[in-house]
Amino acid sequence: MDSQRIEAYVDAAAAVLDLPLAPEHRPGVLAYFALAAGLAESVLAMPLGSADDPAPVFTPIGPDEAQTPGVAQPR
Amino acid sequence: MNAAALLDGSAAAIADAVRARAVSATAMTEASLARIAATDPAINAFTDVLAARARVRAAAIDERLEAGEPLAAGERPAAGAAARAGWPLAGVPFAVKNLFDIAGLATRAGSKIERERAPAAADAPLVARLEQAGAVLVGALNMDEYAYGFTTENSHDGPTRNPHDLARVAGGSSGGSAAAVAAGQVPVSLGSDTNGSIRVPASLCGVFGLKPTYGRLPRTGSYPFVASLDHLGPFARSAHDLALVYDALQGIDRADPACADRAAAPAAGAIAEPIDGLRIGVLGGWFSEFADASARAAVDRVATALGADRRVDLPHVERARAAAFLITNAEGAALHLDDLRRRAADFEPLSRDRFLAGALLPAAWIVHAQRLRRWFALRIAEVLRDVDVLIAPATPCVAPTIGSEWIEFGAKRLPARPSLGLLTQPISFIGLPVCAVPVWGCHATMPIGVQLVAAPWREDLVLRVAHHLQRAGVARAPVAASVAP
Repeated sequence: MDSQRIEAYVDAAAAVLDLPLAPEHRPGVLAYFALAAGLAESVLAMPLGSADDPAPVFTPIGPDEAQTPGVAQPR
Repeated sequence: MNAAALLDGSAAAIADAVRARAVSATAMTEASLARIAATDPAINAFTDVLAARARVRAAAIDERLEAGEPLAAGERPAAGAAARAGWPLAGVPFAVKNLFDIAGLATRAGSKIERERAPAAADAPLVARLEQAGAVLVGALNMDEYAYGFTTENSHDGPTRNPHDLARVAGGSSGGSAAAVAAGQVPVSLGSDTNGSIRVPASLCGVFGLKPTYGRLPRTGSYPFVASLDHLGPFARSAHDLALVYDALQGIDRADPACADRAAAPAAGAIAEPIDGLRIGVLGGWFSEFADASARAAVDRVATALGADRRVDLPHVERARAAAFLITNAEGAALHLDDLRRRAADFEPLSRDRFLAGALLPAAWIVHAQRLRRWFALRIAEVLRDVDVLIAPATPCVAPTIGSEWIEFGAKRLPARPSLGLLTQPISFIGLPVCAVPVWGCHATMPIGVQLVAAPWREDLVLRVAHHLQRAGVARAPVAASVAP
């Protein structure tokens, strides 16, 4: 992804998220986004089929389990 | 017995002496507090020293020992509650990374922001479990802010310095946890590992570290970084101590949705069993390419000692590492989105811009990364049908000096802070258990770690091999000479 597209995307996405980027933070954010974009190219180039599920598996929680102390508490 | 001398030895020896009433838990606690007072101004491992709490706890242990407890002193191999009942860690001082809840303290997770929050109401379950096993919490330890770093150059609390060379980093993000053990302030400690945060500082500080299988130990009561990848685990100066602590930590906790529904599996009792017959391989490719001469020499020494002559190449390691980076970046940032919006200037300058960028990553990248994660886990499971333990360097090089922006070896010049995790990240990505063992003599002055990796739930294997290497003199974790009394 070239630097112009990165700048355009970062500014648009930050606006949508209501995430202000201070002028002194913006160059670093652009550099790290570019780093992530480069790594994403490598990840997206990996051919995966429709049967390749994501790693996380959701476990439904029954009413009895919801009463377990701590279940509803954030870590 | 001399408590200060015992403090330089093993947790097992301390517990034996305390249970036999040859030394009191109070004397061990005072020895640890004195060592911290003498050495921490130079090392900066501790952010909180809990002297009053530790003294109360130690006195209670001494009182119960006086009254004849514990009745069964842990003679049989056990893990979980059964192990803890025998007080296998009686009177052993320990400390924890400051992302573990400690009743009465704000869980700062290395940050400026969190220290404004209300104090934790209770200890994290793993802290409570070590105290049930007779250990005494003496303090909380420095770390990279929100665990997003590999050097513990914390701008709010100052850098933790490597006890073996105070000009060098301790590694991170559990830098305080590794440094406190290397300095002999405590014989054991706890940390967390999302991409290498136990194994990197263990390597750089020359101590043993265990990252158990993802889901083995509950993370309840610890400040999260990346729920998909977070692990908790111990540091020690011997493989046996690591196993003793690991056994005491085990047990299901349904409050952590990732904690596996598996029975505790004791490791300490069988740690001295022979390793003959284990199929051991050396990881090549990525794991050799991103290792300097010291790191490769350490792997060679371990491989020779274990008679490991087969080389194993894993598929698409580079992409696995890239996927781990993306998941970390996105999940970590999403957790802090509100604070990033309102007070970005209060974040650690060394990781703030990375967090801000992580908040903006497209969803498709993260979903693909999570699909790649399962693909990679399946491929490595096939590899592990033919081999029991895999060997790899823990870090590309020994500890860089504090403030280093780059590490260089061969023709490579890599950004220092993210690159220290290049060799640990692909392994934690798929949750395999790893013991990092310290090797000396491969660099002029500093230790470097080697990862021992096994199939999921086989912590016993990596601990057995680590113990064998220690008995053979290949792995060792001396208290740092610069700070020894």
